[in-house]
Amino acid sequence: MLLDLDRRTPVIVQGISGRMGRTHARLMQNYGTRIVGGTAPRSQASDIEFPLFDDCRAAVDATGAVVSLVMVPPAQTLEAVSDAIAGGLKALVTIAEGIPVLDALRIHAMTREAGVTWLGPSTPGFCIPGRIKVGFLPDVSLAPGRIGFMSKSGTLSYEVGLRLVSAGHGQSAWIGVGGDPVKGLRFADLAPELVRHSPTEAVILIGEIGGSEEEEFAEAWQSLACGKPAFALIAGAQAREGLAMGHAGALVLGQRGSVASKTAALRAAGVQVFTSIQSLVEAVDDQVEKPHRPISRERD
Amino acid sequence: MLLLEAHGKQLLRDAGIAVPGSELVRAGEVPRWPDTDGGWVVKAQVPVGGRGKAGGIVRVDDAAELPAAIGKVLSTRINGHDSRAVLVEERIEGGEHYLALMIDTGSCEIRLLYSPRGGVEIESDFSETEGAFATAVPATREALDGALDALARTLPPALREEIAAVARRMSDELFSSGLLLAEINPLFIGADGKARAGDSKVVVDMNAVPDHPALRKLLTDNRDLYPDAWRKLSEGFDYIELDRDGTIGLVTTGAGLSMMLVDELVAAGGRPINFCDMRTGQMRGKPDRLLRIFDWLQEIPTLKVILINVFAGITDLGEFAELLLAARRRRPELRIPFVVRLVGNGAARAEQLIGEAGQDMEWEPDLERAIARATECAQERPDAAGS
Repeated sequence: MLLDLDRRTPVIVQGISGRMGRTHARLMQNYGTRIVGGTAPRSQASDIEFPLFDDCRAAVDATGAVVSLVMVPPAQTLEAVSDAIAGGLKALVTIAEGIPVLDALRIHAMTREAGVTWLGPSTPGFCIPGRIKVGFLPDVSLAPGRIGFMSKSGTLSYEVGLRLVSAGHGQSAWIGVGGDPVKGLRFADLAPELVRHSPTEAVILIGEIGGSEEEEFAEAWQSLACGKPAFALIAGAQAREGLAMGHAGALVLGQRGSVASKTAALRAAGVQVFTSIQSLVEAVDDQVEKPHRPISRERD
Repeated sequence: MLLLEAHGKQLLRDAGIAVPGSELVRAGEVPRWPDTDGGWVVKAQVPVGGRGKAGGIVRVDDAAELPAAIGKVLSTRINGHDSRAVLVEERIEGGEHYLALMIDTGSCEIRLLYSPRGGVEIESDFSETEGAFATAVPATREALDGALDALARTLPPALREEIAAVARRMSDELFSSGLLLAEINPLFIGADGKARAGDSKVVVDMNAVPDHPALRKLLTDNRDLYPDAWRKLSEGFDYIELDRDGTIGLVTTGAGLSMMLVDELVAAGGRPINFCDMRTGQMRGKPDRLLRIFDWLQEIPTLKVILINVFAGITDLGEFAELLLAARRRRPELRIPFVVRLVGNGAARAEQLIGEAGQDMEWEPDLERAIARATECAQERPDAAGS
């Protein structure tokens, strides 16, 4: 669903009165995203330049919003998601890091039952460069192009994006699935979306140790047999076992979740796997055609 | 985070599951052990599997031999981990079973697994083992209660009540403490028909710890055994020590990029001391986090260079550079080179500030070259930090 969104898509920000909420509402609007308002307690939001609503139902009724960027603290995310579902929103992006797994399981069950797309937790968001950005992916790494990005990590994907933009390659879509173990959209969910998405001519998966998402993607990718080239980078070869490395999901137990397991599964599915950022960037540059017009970043 | 066996068992015991008598003995403490007639087992407390094969589990029959066995296990490195403590436990025997509850993060279900054949090697295919039980249900108490009832119905009558009770207590603990995994292997069934947990593998959700006083207390009381988790809990960011004999200190933000940087440094022949995700967005105009990291790094006598890498989406790098220089001024004893790689929002002003700062602050906008330069610095300076 996310890949079909564009400049016309009405977006709200839940928690728009917070420091992060108001900053990113402005930045997204400057990017071209149609921010139609937000929710926040009115007592905290006297000087917000966007239309304010008490809850998502009111926001949806007044603006027709279909997407919400949920920018509330982790302990309030479950309640905010509940409000968003009750309000009739169709896609939710929850950025908070630190949501307990039991809360994430409830959000997963609620969004699934309601047929609502959930991206997060702990995600920098998504972007269709030149059309819509929901979240805080840095503009310096974004440019319209032919490569579908998906990543567990924000910063590592920014680095890959920056180097590829410098080499003349942009993105057809960029989706941060986040580094938590229990989440909404997963790599495997995005596989068929990226296959049918005609602007996407190649796929980059930026994964890391922990969980089985890369292995699930490998299985899905192999069964789709689409012929689009796929490239992957898996961080965490030197990680300590038994301890989450920064991201809650980046946890290796025995062979479960290891770089070796993920690399083997992805290679068996025809995905090219790299051990350094630069080797991935060079392979992509060799194999993927650049956009016909020189790309430009929309803002540095 | 995987708890040490001793603390996994502590949670199980507090949940009403019987465990063998034991003493947790830290390195440097006077050895002690529980009273028993049947001998002891001395077990390295490290958060990895394969302890037995690596010499981390020693059986002892004579109490006179215990101090030597404790010392030996404490000095044995287990799959890359030093053992900071050992569990000296009464040796128990009985039929070895397997019981586990885990959150399947992929399917968002809870898996309940039981096998009448526990022990070291567990068949991954439970359907091949007669009497084994495996199911996955939605992650709700109601659904798991149904699965527990189904398990109880498959158990032989002589074991039914005892094993089903252990499984129910594990289920209560999973929900009340927010566990990701609770595994008992082996679960001993003694001649008296009673179940006791022979080993435990318990993974806690670090995001749940702040709201669970018992887990918080466990980490607080044992901060020496979980220094990295304690740091995360008490400081609000991640700093994980990887190599106490390393030479390159990392001051970095972003978990994925920091992990990749560690991997690439090692591939380039470098020895990074730490993983770091300092979350620059939470610094709020203060250099405190930088000072904390500098102080931890200065404890490493082999520290030769600090590599700073921040990809700033939103953080103002000019402001970050000011904080970095302020922190450096407050630690004048840290006389080693800094390789500074900052990219993104405000990089131009940061470059100017770092350039003006002068000696031992090297600006390098390219990460590949920054890695090469840090590795080079680590090899150039044979003398220790601060000398």
